[in-house]
Amino acid sequence: MADSDKGNNLGLSLNRRGFIKGCTMVAAAMGLSEAMIPRMVEAAASAKRPPVIWLHFQECTGCTESLLRSSHPDIGRLILEIISLDYHETVMAAAGYQAEKSLHDTLDQYAGKFLCVVEGAIPTKDKGIYCQIGGRPAMEILAEVAPKAAAVIAIGSCASYGGVQAAAPNPTGAVGVRDLVSTTPIINIPGCPPNPVSFMGTVLHYLTFKRLPPTDKLGRPLFAYGRRNHDHCERRAHFDEGRYVEQFGDHGHRNGYCLYKVGCKGPGTFANCPTARFNDVDVWPVSVGHGCIGCTEPNFWDTMTPFYERLPGVKLPGSPVTNVDSAGKTVLGLAAAAVGVHAVVGAVKRIAQCKCSSNSSEEEV
Amino acid sequence: MSYETIRVWGVLLRLYHWALVISISALAVTGLYINSPWTGTTLEGVAAMPMLAMRNWHFLAACLFSGAVLVRIYLLLFGNRYERLGDLLPVTGRNLRNLFSTLLYYLYLNPNKEERMGHNVLAGMTYLLTLLVALFQVASGFFLRYAESAFWQGLGGAIFGSQQQARFVHHLLMWYFLLFALIHIYLVVWNEVKAPEGIISSIFSGRKFKERQH
Repeated sequence: MADSDKGNNLGLSLNRRGFIKGCTMVAAAMGLSEAMIPRMVEAAASAKRPPVIWLHFQECTGCTESLLRSSHPDIGRLILEIISLDYHETVMAAAGYQAEKSLHDTLDQYAGKFLCVVEGAIPTKDKGIYCQIGGRPAMEILAEVAPKAAAVIAIGSCASYGGVQAAAPNPTGAVGVRDLVSTTPIINIPGCPPNPVSFMGTVLHYLTFKRLPPTDKLGRPLFAYGRRNHDHCERRAHFDEGRYVEQFGDHGHRNGYCLYKVGCKGPGTFANCPTARFNDVDVWPVSVGHGCIGCTEPNFWDTMTPFYERLPGVKLPGSPVTNVDSAGKTVLGLAAAAVGVHAVVGAVKRIAQCKCSSNSSEEEV
Repeated sequence: MSYETIRVWGVLLRLYHWALVISISALAVTGLYINSPWTGTTLEGVAAMPMLAMRNWHFLAACLFSGAVLVRIYLLLFGNRYERLGDLLPVTGRNLRNLFSTLLYYLYLNPNKEERMGHNVLAGMTYLLTLLVALFQVASGFFLRYAESAFWQGLGGAIFGSQQQARFVHHLLMWYFLLFALIHIYLVVWNEVKAPEGIISSIFSGRKFKERQH
């Protein structure tokens, strides 16, 4: 956006025009009517900023990094004017005891009113000792904060479903927020990282309507995760037309053909990547020639890898089969061999019988 | 030696059988193409749309397949005495005996075929297993096709987990149908050769031949 180009993203350089433009873009991303934009502007600009507690657990801070690059509205506007970000280990000024005090002040003062954002999975094995902050396990912090929150937003695939930490064999017993919290409404914004538009849209929806947006069965907001990447991919016409990249760098790849045969997981991945795109430069993996890796889906690390194969070794619990086609061909081949042996045995028996009966009596055949 | 004809298979069961033959053949071919398109268009502007066509044929055949499965479930409950569940399951003494005698007969250990007009129990059990596999195949297929629907998200999610896992199961179960077709066709021909009941013509005419008692 031109507005954020003018200066520092973290500065307060955003003017009213840019602010309303940002709100309009988020409204469009959520599929709201333009009549809702004034209400959204009002909600976003109201003096009563809802406090937000942002908890970091087992994560890489990629979701926060992605959010820092948001521009509709930008991060400065978000934390200084829209919400009151009372606790966020990456961007907060306070440290140590001051930081913990800020957390507890918010918990006491705004119980039942603040939003809790969780980034990262929560380890549960060995009483959760594999992720501790201020000497306390992540499980304990979440158990204290989440029940007091008005709603929990799980940002990123780790907080939503466990992410890479929960990949087999899941050494720390990592789980997502929904596996531990049942009393507070939870919304999942999965992705690795998720698009800031999806997060901002959810926050602004909450501020505007005082409730969380409608979700699918996996707790993801429908405005962002209602359709599969495949269904609004710019390369979809190549898919239908049968024009595929056979390997990276070939003729098809240079001509922008469909990445289906080099493992694109767009057909099984619910997200708004092709429409919202990333970081104001209008790109997403497929637009730059790389298949979707399905990062917004549960267990994507186990079910979508290797990323460059169409139907990779999806791990079914207790099943030795990893490569369907070679297993299928083997079983079919063995069955054909068995059928052949069975037929030969039958034929040999019958010939033997004929010989015996023709020897003993000519009439009975 | 004289024979009488017995009416065994109703018209619905025969239609079910041939619907399955057509749909499984179409589904396997188009499904293999969809999984791994072996040919494509590289000429721009031709508009041959091979993948689109394969997918449409796949969905059409899937409707035929699903309809056939529903018909068979109806016949399990309300079909004639040869088509109903009670004749297929090894739960009665008569059926249990038939299961073992069929196994011995197929293994060349018993030269005499037990007279039985409907399915033998080994075949009956295999068909029930196939029907169960077909139900999973239909469920995973609809879950993949109507992934946005809340109903299929709930059901498919509960059975298969994610879309990708459902896709894997869907592909895996296809191999079951190929295996079934191979063994089924072999055993039908084998039975045709061994016994004079006319098993192959029975799926066209619905009639089998039975030796007259003297």
